[in-house]
Formats: sequence, structure tokens, C-alpha cells
Amino acid sequence: MPPTDRTPVSTGKGRRDMIRFIAIRLLRSLLTIALVVTFAFVVLRLSGDPAMLIMSVDAPPEAIAAFRRSWGLDEPLWTQYLKYFGAILHGDLGRSMRDGRDAIVLVAERIPATLALTIPALLIKLGIGIPAGVHAALHRDSWSDRLVMLAAVAGFTVPSFVLGLLLVLIFAVQLGWLPSGGQESWRHAILPVITLGVGGAAVLARFTRSATLEVLGQLYIRTASAKGLSWGRVVRSHALPNAAIPTVTIVGFMVGSLIAGAVVVESVFSWPGVGRLLVVAVANRDLAVVQCILLLVAATMVTANLIVDLLYGFLDPRLRSARSAGAG
Amino acid sequence: MPEAPLPVPSPPPASVARPPRRLSKTPGLVLFALGWIATMLLVALLADQLMPYAYTALDLRNRLTPPAFLSGTWAHPLGTDELGRDVLSRLIVSIRLSLIIAFGATMLSATIGTLLGFLAAHFRGWAEQIVMALADFQAAMPFLILALSVLAFFGNALGLLVLLLGLHGWERYARIARGLAISAGAQGYAAAVRQLGASSARIYGRHVLPNIASTLIVSMTLVFPEVILLESGLSFLGLGVQPPSTSLGNMVGYGREYLTRAPWILLSPAAVIVMTTFAVSVVGDWLRDRLDPTLR
Amino acid sequence: MHPRYGTGLGMSLLTVTNVGRRYAMRRGLLARAVTVHAVDGVSLSLERGETLGLVGESGCGKSTTGRLVLGLEAPDGGAVHFDGAPMPAVGDAAWRKLRARMQMVFQDPLGALDRRLPIGVQVAEPLEIHNLLNPSDRPARVIELLGAVGLRPDQAERYPHELSGGQRQRAVLARALATNPDLLVCDEPISALDVSIQAQAMNLLMELQARLGMAILFISHDLRAVRQVSHRIAVMYLGRIVEMGEPDAVLHDPAHPYARALAAAIPHPGLRGQTRPVLQGDPPNPADRPSGCAFHPRCPIAEAICRTSVPALLPRQDGRQVACHAAHRSDAGVHRERAA
Repeated sequence: MPPTDRTPVSTGKGRRDMIRFIAIRLLRSLLTIALVVTFAFVVLRLSGDPAMLIMSVDAPPEAIAAFRRSWGLDEPLWTQYLKYFGAILHGDLGRSMRDGRDAIVLVAERIPATLALTIPALLIKLGIGIPAGVHAALHRDSWSDRLVMLAAVAGFTVPSFVLGLLLVLIFAVQLGWLPSGGQESWRHAILPVITLGVGGAAVLARFTRSATLEVLGQLYIRTASAKGLSWGRVVRSHALPNAAIPTVTIVGFMVGSLIAGAVVVESVFSWPGVGRLLVVAVANRDLAVVQCILLLVAATMVTANLIVDLLYGFLDPRLRSARSAGAG
Repeated sequence: MPEAPLPVPSPPPASVARPPRRLSKTPGLVLFALGWIATMLLVALLADQLMPYAYTALDLRNRLTPPAFLSGTWAHPLGTDELGRDVLSRLIVSIRLSLIIAFGATMLSATIGTLLGFLAAHFRGWAEQIVMALADFQAAMPFLILALSVLAFFGNALGLLVLLLGLHGWERYARIARGLAISAGAQGYAAAVRQLGASSARIYGRHVLPNIASTLIVSMTLVFPEVILLESGLSFLGLGVQPPSTSLGNMVGYGREYLTRAPWILLSPAAVIVMTTFAVSVVGDWLRDRLDPTLR
Repeated sequence: MHPRYGTGLGMSLLTVTNVGRRYAMRRGLLARAVTVHAVDGVSLSLERGETLGLVGESGCGKSTTGRLVLGLEAPDGGAVHFDGAPMPAVGDAAWRKLRARMQMVFQDPLGALDRRLPIGVQVAEPLEIHNLLNPSDRPARVIELLGAVGLRPDQAERYPHELSGGQRQRAVLARALATNPDLLVCDEPISALDVSIQAQAMNLLMELQARLGMAILFISHDLRAVRQVSHRIAVMYLGRIVEMGEPDAVLHDPAHPYARALAAAIPHPGLRGQTRPVLQGDPPNPADRPSGCAFHPRCPIAEAICRTSVPALLPRQDGRQVACHAAHRSDAGVHRERAA
């Protein structure tokens, strides 16, 4: 039997498979977001009584009851959940329990600050990680390959808070060149951007290297070189485009985490971004804000994944059949 | 992964697994890594015997003493913190707790993932779709964000922390277990045993599990360092292990306030985190290359 | 030559009635799902102690037929009866219990054995599963089984990779025989073996059958092997049986043009000089089944009717069953001549 998916015939035969594929992907994406909303709701609502946390313990019972009523906390959970879902469908993400402002506004205010860190960091990752990975793969086992690999392993094993604090210790405390925290000028962004970028670049370099090596080792590359093409040409026209395909995945993940990828680093550098807001909101049990951030993160992630998925399908026809089997 | 018998050159994009790692296979490096891991295990096991002081004992006359090699005293080889507590003793206790958490969580996620992977392989159909959708979801969401919300809202009990970290990485075991179980069932020994009339429990417990154990163990060595990093990150943010307990991450978190005056408070736990994750990664890569060419 | 088998009185051990099995096969994300009739309207029966050889090219559905016969897959249509009772649903308790009575011998013995367990443990496994014998009596039974297939008692301690291919196949056979099954389905049991030991393996199979009296469905692409062990053979082409009858008759005087081509492919020292029909055209593709008689694009004697009408598998005067328009017409012609 040829290596194809065998399922009982009743699954039907779609005529417009392309549209079907996109529709299934979209549905899956929406399902994921619904899952996140549910997750957030369940975790946040069932975990404790926010009224007891927001109000002081010795607040009068009438005040607590009034607080609950005004936030709908006295209704059955099921009703709360449906209302919540309905509200989200209308674009209403609730208000912060702390200062009563719209959660979405509160979060939106912080997005530029976070992007000011994550976008330059992403450029560093791409600008250093991919060339370093390709270079290491092309010069396998040379000293530069070993250097890249060592740096890559270090990038994985050194947590961002350690790297960030080390940078602060060296460049802010010892040398006094750069500020250690805050958001007053562009100079304040340098250390956090480096902290974010270096780790990601290492991960990307390692990934790119093995993707390239894998492609280089494959048979059709050898076939191409046997046809008399120069090695450099083979690398440019065959190896790199093919190696790019799996790399798209990890880059997609990085793009997806532009908004939430800086939680720890923002905390280290007291940077007033979304991540910082999340940590504070979590500590304060500010339900609406946490849910809003979760949803935002999920939506970004899911969108990035969707784009990657579609890109994948178009970049590599070989994978279409293989992937469709699991996509179901 | 989609269907097991298909040649799939890379993981599907929805599942961003850790990128493949290839370390240099220098045996010297591996020996060093193994030595480090053994030391850490010994420290964790003999923590009570090794501690020079109780980890909560205050020594108010010797607050913020630098380590012995930085003009400090040998009474506190790694110095003391802001309350005069011995950094070495706290480090030893932290190593023990961090390793216990990471170990427990790794075992948990391996168990959950393998079970779900077997369920998916066994029932196929919609059960498989659900498991794979959950796996996609898990892989697509930044775990730190999920963990943050759960921890802060359910409180910080140690058990809950282990439980939560035990959800990290399950999807990787699930994918592996599912893929291997399907291929074993499609034409291999599992199909043979099944047609002998064996129950599912027998097929999976007696045959499939022992056959894929080495692959699962290799995956565990790759997930373990990530769990250590997660725990230390959460504790650093003040949302993981809570005082008076201490872990490597929250030593760094608390030491951060004394970064300018007493950097040694955070440097030694930071070094242990880095060394340990490095060592386990090196050993994991080495094991994978040695034992299991199917994992990339 | 062969021990005579059951006279056909009463119930057959195995009756397969008009079974079919379809798969949806997709060749790419953007391609339409194609329905593949892996098996289409196959009927056969098997008596105790009888061997039926099932022969055909790869992809003709013979392995799927084997799985349907064993009840490892449920057919989309038709029915399988074993010992007078319908096949239970796949996986339920009755189905599992029935496994003790019907066993399979696989093409790839290394794949069919658990590489982490010694041979003896695996041969004993059916006894454990079906709770046969006292645990204390099982080791003796294992030794007995190993002896029956020509393995030494000390080889019970060996792991699959420590045995040769032929020894592994013997171990698989010993495991299959552990429960004294009534039916053995052998799916290409010798194709993974060295040519030098294929004959040995087939002789062992026949010897065991003579001693134990089980029925065997012997699936192979190798017509010679099938002829050697079978009491009857069935030739399959693209999911259908095209000819069924006594092996010598089918081989020396094949009625279906496909069977003729298969038989001609066997080197025959005695038949030199005779014309040999050679298969022409593309090899069959189950996903793209020709209309009418599936064989017509490759058939040297195809006519107009072969493109439109599927020939039924009908008995000829001599009892041989053939599914071919031309063969039936000539048979009828012979009959008329005789009658005249």
C-alpha cells in the first residue's frame, strides 16, 4: 500500500479542499481562543473570592455584598461564564476591579512600551540567529561552529533574569554606562533589548543550524551537486530555502510572543509594559486585566500560528499531504 | 506529529517544540556534566548533613558578609545575606527543593503525556483529535503566562506548584507516545500481541511502554532543565516557592535588591541554575545521540 | 500428494460471504479523497485441515482479505462466519476470546516479536492471555512448542535479534500454535526469509498441519510457494478473486488471462516452446480501478464487454471458478460441442 492516510470512506470528499483547509485552520484557531477564555474564566473565578481580596477582611458584610452584586459575582458561575463570553463577543473585555477603567484600555496603553522592547529584540534574534546558524552549518565542526553552538547552549541555559541582572551588574553597577531600570530614554531600553535578543538569537541559531544541516544532508542536495552546480549555488538555491521552512515555525512563535515574551525581563528592568502589568494584576487578582492579557496573548499566538500554518502549506508542497493527515 | 508511518521532516508548526540541539559530543564535557549532576544529587540527598547552619538561622552581627574568597570569613564561605543568614546553607536547601520540584514535575508531565498519547493512539478518532488539539494549545500558549495566572489565583502551595509545572511539556511525551504506539500497532509487535487476544492494558503496559521507555527518558532529560528554569523564573517573580522556603529562583529574586551591595547573594544560586540546566542539557543531548536516533 | 480434507458436509470452519473493504485515500492536502476498494465482493470458505492459497500482486487486497478473515478489521459489507458463528465486533471480549482459535503468522517476524522479551516469554504469552494451563505447566508447553517448530529448548532464553530470520519465523509460528488454533492465516510468511530456507519453512508448515489439523489461509505473491502448500488456490486481482480451483489445474491450465500470465511467469522446464502471455500495460493501481473487468487494460483477449461489465466469479463445468467473460464463453462453447 502506498504511504497515504487510510480512513473509512464515510469522511466524505471535499471538492474545494483548499477552502476547507483554511476553514478548518480558522475553526481550530477560534477553538483555541475559546479554550483560553474558558481556561481563564475557570481558573480565575473558581480560585477564590475576589471580593475578599479587594475589600479588606474586616469590611462590613453589606459592603462586600454590594461589591459582589455590582460585579455580578453573586450569580451562578454558569451565568457569569455565558455573560462573560457574550461580552467578549461584543468586544467588551470588562473593567479593572482596581481603578474601574476598561481593561482593554489599560492593556492597550502598555503595548507600545512592550513592543519597544520586543520588536528590536526580534530584529536582533533574526539578524544574529539566522546568519550564525547558517554559518555554523556551512562550516560544521570549525571553531566558529563550536563557538556558535557554545553560545547557543549558553543562551538556552542562562535564564533571562540571570542574564539581565548580570548585565545590570556589569554595565550599570560596575561601569555605570547605562541605567539599570526605568523607561525615561532610549538608553533605558538597551539592556532589556539585549537581554531579550541574545537568548532568542541563541535558540534561533541552534535551530537554523540543525535545519540547514538536515537539508544539506539530504539526497536531493547531493543530486543537485552531482549535476555540476557549484556548492555555493546549491546552498543558495536549494539548501537555504528548504532550511527556511522549519525555521518559519520558530520565527512564528517569536512573533506570536511579541506581546507576552517580556514578562520576566520587564520585571527585571522595571519596564512598564504588558508583562509588568500582568504580574501586578495577577498579584492584585485583577480578574478583568488578567483575562484581557491572556486573551490578547492567545489571539496573537493563534494568529501567528495560523499564518505560519498557511505559509507552511504553500512553502512546501511535500508537507501538504503529510500534514493534512494529522490536521483531520 | 501526524500519521506515524508518514515521513514527516519536521514538527508541525502549531507545535513549537524545543529546537533540535546538537552539542559537541566531547566525552570530557559529558563527564563533567555527569559529575556536576552527581554532585547536585549528593547535595540534595545530604542537605541536612552538609549545611553548616540552619538555613533560617540569623547572624545579625555578620550581615552582608562577602564570601571567603572576597575578603570574607570562612565562617560563611559564600557570605551572608541581609539578615546574616548563611548563603551556603540556603543554597544547599534551595538546591534540594528546586531539584525535588523539577523532578516531581518532570515525572508528572511524563506520566500525563504518555497516558494521553496512548489514549490518542488507542482510540484514534475524536479522542485523538481532542488530545492533539490540547497538545497544540499547550504548545502554542506561553506556559509562563498560564502558570502565572493559575499560581497567583490558587495560592502558592508547594504541591500546586509541582502540579502546575507537571503540565509543562506533557504534549511532547504525548506526541512521542502516540506516534510510537501507532506505529507499533500498525504493523509491529503491538499488532501481533493484539491479535493474540491481549487486553489493552497488557499491550501498553507490558509491550509498548518498555519499548518506548528509552525515548521517553531521553525526552525527560530535555524537559527537566526547562522545568528548573520555569520554577526559578516563577520564584524570581515572587510567585513560585514562598518564604520561608527557599529555592534557587527566589534566592536570585531576593538577592536582586542587594545587587549593588552584595551581588554574591544572587550570583551563587544563579551559577547553580545555569550549571545544572547546562549539565542536564548536555547529558540529554548525549543520551539522545547515543540511545535514540528517532528524536531530533 | 496432499491429505484429503473435509468433504464439505456440514458447516465449513470459515465462510466468507461477499465481503468488501473500502478506504478513503488522500494523496495530498489539495487532492480529493479517493475511495479505494481494497477488497470487493470476496467469498470463500475453508475446511478444517485445508490450506487455501491466496495469490496476487502487491496491492491486490490479499492481506486485507487476511485481516478480514481473522476479524482484525470489520468488513464494510458481507459477513465472516467462523465455526458457524458470525465474527464478533473487533476488540470486545468475545472477539478477544476467539483469538485463541485463530492466529496469524506475519511477513516480518522481527517486527512481530517484542525485541525486549526473550522468545520463551513471548511463546508463553498466548497461554497467559487466555489463561490456559497452570502457570507451572507453561514452561514445559513452551519447550514442546519450540521443539515442534524445530527450535532448541535453550533458545527460549534468546532475544529476537539473537536469532536468524528463519528461527524468528519459527518462534512466531510457535507462538501462533500455543493455543492450538483451528485457523492459521499466514501473510507472506516466507518472503522475508532467505530463498535457501523458504522450502524448509513451507515443509514445516505442512508437517504441522498434518499433525495438528488446523486450516491455513496462505497468502503470498509467489505462485510456486502457494502451489506447494495449498489444497486450493484463489488468484486475486484488484480486490476480487478472478480464479479459484485446485492448484495443479489452475497452474497448468489457467482459465483467467491474469492467472495465465502469472503461471507463465514461473519458469517451467517442461513447457518450453509454448507461447507465454506476458503482462502488458501499467501495474494495477487500487485507487484508479478500471471500469468493467479491472484486468481489461492489460488483458490480451479483452473485448468490448470487458470494458463495461464486471464478470462474476462463476463455476465452470469442471468445478473451477473463474471471473472472465471470455473464459465462460469458451467453456460454454466446449460444453455445447460436447453436447452436440
